[in-house]
Amino acid sequence: MIHVVMNALCSFMGTVSFAVIFNVPKRYYVCCGLTGMAGWITYYAFVSGHASAASASFFGTLVVVLISRALTVLMKCPITIFLVSGIIPLVPGAGIYYTVYYMVTNQLAEASRRGMESVKVAFAIVLGIVFVVSIPRDVFHSLFHFRYPRGKYSIYTNERDESRKG
Amino acid sequence: MKIRQITRDKDDYMDMLLMADPQKDMVERYLYQSEMFVLVNGGDVCSVCVVQLMKNRKCELKNIATRVQDRGKGYAAYLIHYICEYYSDVCDTMYAGTGNGKKMIEFLERSGFVNSHMAVNYYVDHYQEPIYEDGIRITDKIYMKKQLDSVIDVKKVVDLALEAGRILLKNGAEIFRVDETITRICRRFHVEYVDTFILSHAIFVSAENGMEEAYTKVKQVPLSSTHLGIVAEVNALSREISAGNVGVEEAFRRLGKIDNMPSVRGYLQVLAAGIGSGFFGHMMGASVTESIVAFFIGCILYLWVLKAKKHNISKIIVNIIGGVIITVLAILALHLPFLGNIKMDGMIIGSIMPLVPGLAFVNAIRDIADSDFLSGTVRMIDALLVFVCISVGVGVTLSIYNGLIGGMVL
Repeated sequence: MIHVVMNALCSFMGTVSFAVIFNVPKRYYVCCGLTGMAGWITYYAFVSGHASAASASFFGTLVVVLISRALTVLMKCPITIFLVSGIIPLVPGAGIYYTVYYMVTNQLAEASRRGMESVKVAFAIVLGIVFVVSIPRDVFHSLFHFRYPRGKYSIYTNERDESRKG
Repeated sequence: MKIRQITRDKDDYMDMLLMADPQKDMVERYLYQSEMFVLVNGGDVCSVCVVQLMKNRKCELKNIATRVQDRGKGYAAYLIHYICEYYSDVCDTMYAGTGNGKKMIEFLERSGFVNSHMAVNYYVDHYQEPIYEDGIRITDKIYMKKQLDSVIDVKKVVDLALEAGRILLKNGAEIFRVDETITRICRRFHVEYVDTFILSHAIFVSAENGMEEAYTKVKQVPLSSTHLGIVAEVNALSREISAGNVGVEEAFRRLGKIDNMPSVRGYLQVLAAGIGSGFFGHMMGASVTESIVAFFIGCILYLWVLKAKKHNISKIIVNIIGGVIITVLAILALHLPFLGNIKMDGMIIGSIMPLVPGLAFVNAIRDIADSDFLSGTVRMIDALLVFVCISVGVGVTLSIYNGLIGGMVL
């Protein structure tokens, strides 16, 4: 249990500090942190359940992108803000290190295993993002845009936003 | 709040129209050859206005009135704003005639009207009953005019769109967002035919509005640092532009302001990099001591990154040396006696994180998902190159160290 809490805390703080580096506006810090945390906890849950790193990354990414898309609609801002910060914990930084480490110490079998795993993780992330990004905007708008659901390009709708002007 | 055009039974709103123009036959003179708009809020008609189209791309605001209980809520101003938008396609100038009372003239001035000409004793000659406003008899009719921004300067609009696109692209937006923003801004200012070709480091826009010759512009956008705050701001601005709240001039001004938005202060970035390194290190299995070391390594690493950015050092060098710095510091920490029994893995993994090209990686994937394969590939190579550079930096240092101590520790 304590492990889960530590993991949640670490991923939250880590993601927030990367949001700072990316110059994300202050009001989005908490959302970024929560996105990163949710992604990492999903990853952690799958890895603890003996799933491979690649499939765990895939599901972690799915969670991150889904949350990012929902937040984009709710908070009306570019998805990049949540996506980039949220995905950082899942990027295979450790994999790169171990690959290089084993390569340098001449344990080539281990190096290639680690290398392949990193590549697989990267592909899993790609797949996760592509899947969720391909869901049409409408779906997220009808789900999360409670007050004024609108047409296809609702972010840039030409119809005047009457309800917001007094 | 909704605005509707009324095409039939305009008489139904006569009692409201009479509030602004008290003589029925005068209203009827223009009512039937004019266009009428009403502002509806919560099912009730709150405001009404009548506009007559004239020759030579001109139109006249004949009548505007708001229910007594709804005055002072800005409904009329909004209605004027709306009709100016509406007629900007077909008219260059909008006139509005009013009595020489202070209130109405001030209201029109606030909505952007300026004095044009006047008809002396108009109200005395045409109206049977004398009209009073605040106890003063109204005699003359003042005509005021407003230039509608329909004379669209294609060049200016394209420049605006391109500037918005440049700022977006420079600060790490996806190709798709840049494309959409440029097209939306051009559409909003009635530049109908726009073609864009956007690469990860250049924008090509060609536009035409049917009357003038095509206008094409190319803008090179050098790779630079990420500022997602600016992306969010430009996005918000482009939404406002597309909702019709912001004109070309104001948009230019605000873009300039956004472009100069400061990034987070240097020491905060350094601190954030350190904190990120520490927490991610701990998350990936480093002990508490190792995480604290990773915090310091991350801070020192980011000092280097910021310094290098200032002097425009090539990205390749930055990342290779970054890898070297991380590894050297981790090895040093390994030999510090008071830290006890620590391992190198945790420290290095944690402090590598600030170098990891998360943004380039995510953007590359998103571009590819949107079928922008060209830019996606370029960005992906950018990301991969960074990964390789980090590995080279770390690897070279490790192998030198390995050689020095004869492979005993590693």
